Amino acid sequence: MMSIPFFGVALALVFAAFRARGVAVMLVLLSLAATLVLFNAYVTASLGLDL
Amino acid sequence: MTSHLARQLNALGLLAISAVLLFAFFDQFVGGELPCPLCILQRAGFVVAGAGLALNILVGVRPAHYGLMILGAVGGGAVALRQIALHVVPGTGAYGAPFLGLHFYTWAFIVFAAIVAGGGVLLLFNRQFDSDDYERRGTLGVLAVLLFALAAAGNGVSTLAECSLGLCPDDPTSYQGVEALKALLSGS
Repeated sequence: MMSIPFFGVALALVFAAFRARGVAVMLVLLSLAATLVLFNAYVTASLGLDL
Repeated sequence: MTSHLARQLNALGLLAISAVLLFAFFDQFVGGELPCPLCILQRAGFVVAGAGLALNILVGVRPAHYGLMILGAVGGGAVALRQIALHVVPGTGAYGAPFLGLHFYTWAFIVFAAIVAGGGVLLLFNRQFDSDDYERRGTLGVLAVLLFALAAAGNGVSTLAECSLGLCPDDPTSYQGVEALKALLSGS
């Protein structure tokens, strides 16, 4: 699960290489979103929160 | 600043981010230090920030790509700041050996701050967005993108090997994914 942002960006670069800019930008944004969701999971767990 | 010069600067920036990722790899495999979950998320921040630069090289310089770079750096910076906060109080321990007097997460925060500042500076120059001659990607640009793509995919494989399909433990001691694969292959 934690490798999603890396593979997301790698895939985005493949689309960008074929000039598919919209798909590439969307994949980078999704990779960023995945990073933030995972970060939230760790912060929530380490603070002992039950949101 | 012309579009060509902007892409050259983007290529240099992308090489710098690739160097950061490769140095982290070196420390992981040669130094034998497994990256913690927050360290992995900081690497992801670098990869997202670098993707903005790579898009400038591959499909043309756009403000939106600088936006992606800054967003990635802000996300990665937030993770680095969280890790600094975990260890900043004396006596609370640290993760990993320091490098040039600072821990990797502190260096990461400094580099993320530099990326945000660099993005702001690059956005000051409007002429780079005028021309759309992205057909000429340039040798330096292509090399930088290839190195970066290798670093991004390598980090994906390494993270999969370390954390398997789930979340990483807070203090990883082994490559869970590799062990799970070995167990699967041996049928136990």
